[in-house]
Parts: sequence; C-alpha cells; structure tokens
Amino acid sequence: MLDSIPSFARLVAELAKFPGIGNKTATRLAFFLLRQPKAQAEALATAILDLQNNTRFCSVCFHITEQNPCPLCCDPGRDEALLCVVEEPQALLAIERSRSFKGRYHVLHGALSPLDGIGPEELKIDPLIDRLDKGSVQEVLIATNFTVEGGATALYLAKLIQPRGIRVTRLAYGIPMGSELEYVDEATVNRAVEGRRDI
Amino acid sequence: MKLEVSSAIILHHTDYGEADRIVTFLTPDHGRLKGFARAARKSRKRFGAALEPLAEVQMHWVSRSSGDLVSLRDADLVKLRAGLRRDLETLTLAGYGCELTEVLFDDSGAGVEVFQLLQAFLDHLDSEGFSVEARLLLEIRMLSLSGYMPHLQHCADCSSPLPAGQVSFSAFHNGSLCAECDAGRVAIKVDRMTLGTFGRILETPLTRFSGFKLSPQSRQEGQALLNDALRCHLHRPLKSLEMLDRFSPEE
Ligand SMILES: [Zn+2]
Ligand SMILES: [Zn+2]
Repeated sequence: MLDSIPSFARLVAELAKFPGIGNKTATRLAFFLLRQPKAQAEALATAILDLQNNTRFCSVCFHITEQNPCPLCCDPGRDEALLCVVEEPQALLAIERSRSFKGRYHVLHGALSPLDGIGPEELKIDPLIDRLDKGSVQEVLIATNFTVEGGATALYLAKLIQPRGIRVTRLAYGIPMGSELEYVDEATVNRAVEGRRDI
Repeated sequence: MKLEVSSAIILHHTDYGEADRIVTFLTPDHGRLKGFARAARKSRKRFGAALEPLAEVQMHWVSRSSGDLVSLRDADLVKLRAGLRRDLETLTLAGYGCELTEVLFDDSGAGVEVFQLLQAFLDHLDSEGFSVEARLLLEIRMLSLSGYMPHLQHCADCSSPLPAGQVSFSAFHNGSLCAECDAGRVAIKVDRMTLGTFGRILETPLTRFSGFKLSPQSRQEGQALLNDALRCHLHRPLKSLEMLDRFSPEE
C-alpha cells in the first residue's frame, strides 16, 4: 500500500529503525511529520545533521561533546583528585543529574563481557590508565552497572589501578529511595545488608 | 499454553531491542531453553536480578506453539552466589562453565545430571573461589556426560594396553594411542599417571568438587588433553576461553 508513495515509505522505513519503534508507530510519526509546516521538518532534519556533524567524543574523558576537551574536563571548579568511571555517557548524565559528584569523569564505552568475548581492548581502558599515570588522581570511583559485566569490569579496573597506589571505590549497593523492603528484590537486599554502615 | 515452573540456572542473556531480553537458561528436566523476557531491562519489578547470568532461579514460562523461544513470565531468585564475584578469575571461570554447558549440549541434550554438575560447580566456586582443579573436574565430567569422552586407559585404535611413562593423545583419533598406532603423528604427550588420575576422577560423584589436589604435571597435561578434546567437539570456539586463559593465575 505504501509502495505507491515512495518518499513516505522511505521515511517509515527509517523511523522504524529507531529503538522501541515498530512499523505501526513509524507510520503514525510519518503522518504527523507530513502534516507539519515545512519549517518544522527542516528544523528536525537540521538538528539530526548537527548532532552528527558537531559532536564527537572528548579526547580526555570520552564523553559526548561539541568542544574538545569537553566542558566537564575544562571546568576549573571540579576536583582533579577524584575520577568517576562509567560504562556509557547515559550513566554520566545520571550521576550529573544527582548533583552529588564534583570530580572528573571517564567513559569506558562498554563493559567487559567474558561471555560475549568483549575484552579490555574494546573499552577506553588504556587512555584511563594514561590519565592516572599523569598523577593528579587520588581516588577512582567505579560506577559501572550492577550487572555481571559491570562487576567484572570493576574487578578488572581495581586490579589495574590499586597497584598504582590510587584509592579505588565502588558505588554503594542500596535500597531504592522511597521503597518498602517487602517489595525490593532479594539481590538488592542481600547487597544492602552486606554494605550496611554505622549511623 | 501451559505454564511451566522449574529450577533454572541463567547461562547467558542478550539484549533485544530497547527494553527486552533473550535469556538462555538450563533446567533439570527441560534441558536448555531460550526465553523472551519482555521489558526485562526497563522494568526491574518483574525480574529484578533474577535474569543475570549465573543466577539460580525458579523460572515460570509458557511455551509457544511456534518458534523455539519460550515466553518468560516470572523469575524468583533462589541463589545469587555473591562469592562468584569475589575476583575476576572466579567470575570468568564461572562464566566459562556456563558457556561450555551452553555450547556442548544442544537444546534437549542436557539432562538432569548436567544441571546438577553445573550447580555443584557454581556452588563450589561460590565458596572456594577459582582453582585449576575445579575447571578440569567440570570439563572432564561435562565431556563424559556429552558422550564425547575420549578413550584414556587403552589405545583408542587397537585397544592394546598402554605402557608406563609418556603416552600420545589425540582427540581427533579418539583418545590415547600406543606407540605403533601413533607412529609419530601426535603432538600431545601425557603421562600414564595423569590418564589414571582422570580415570579415577570419573568414578567420583559428579557433584563432588572439594578435596581434589592434582600435581602441577597432571594439571598441565590434563589441561592440554581436555583443550584438545573440547576443541574437537565444540561447534564453535568459546568466547570466554580467551579471557579465562588471560585472567587465570599463572601456573
Ligand atoms: Zn571530557
Ligand atoms: Zn594402538
């Protein structure tokens, strides 16, 4: 049915490549775009192209940025002695939203996964070690995900970093704020009990 | 559509799309299964940590009439085995055990003994941590359960008894070879004593892992023999093997 409108079919096919978007939603979005003023369509197209053309990874921390080094790496108000390591830029943004961390960051772009054959070479680990060897970092906070892969990555990093005399810490395991213990899964409760602390 | 419930060990998972997950798991009575967990990554409520590799769970699923993916409904965590995450070598060895099981047995090939063996292996690593012995015990028993166990105590070609001292071994030729049958072709040399040790291991209960201590020579020769035998029978190389070799403590 769409074959008779090739440009419409092409847009639907492109939209359907987005995560979480099937053919049905893609068609609905395409109809929406069809009804928009031309300026709106141009703004969208330009925004997409700008994203591609203007962004890259920061050469220091590997976060997404338009200027190199990125604003987080250039900000003189951030603590040089404290470095937080995350798997993906999304995790960095999550920590920034919490406003709880005032050090620098390093994005690995993945996690070790023995079962998928993803080894240290595929992550930004060498540049991390280079940064540490420059000497200003005194503590590395490992904020990889709480999955088997994130755990393996944390163990690997700790093994590399500790011999350099740098303190290595891991995000605490905890019960989500606002939750009742009864409904929290066993693994989380288990880790929270292990990680209990004095009040 | 019938709701099935069974103990299960999570072997592996892959992300599917933005929020879903495909999970490979091993059961005692249904062999190895692959299940589709809708929204498993977005909503932690239904599955929590229960779909993480190495977890032992009570799995609830519904078989579909077509396709080989079952539909996962619920998973209750039975055992987390936090000790597996104590260090990299233990974690990698545990992961290797799961991948070995996944690749060595096809969907219906893994029976209750395979489940019990993997379960005991993970329990042992959870409490004792990495050891070369644990790896060898798992490999030799998995090979035996898969029906691929090479001949060890007699020549695989002519069935004649083997002399004391160094013996040739080739998984391609189905096992140990006497000097005449080998005729200089085979690279792997194993001491008869190592073969004897392996024979005795195969007579011990499948789920016993503690109390084994092999000599450095037996460990090395045994590993070479098992590597050869496994390479011969696995339909694809194991992704976890390279990292296991890399992260294992030096002998
Ligand atoms: Zn940066
Ligand atoms: Zn012979």
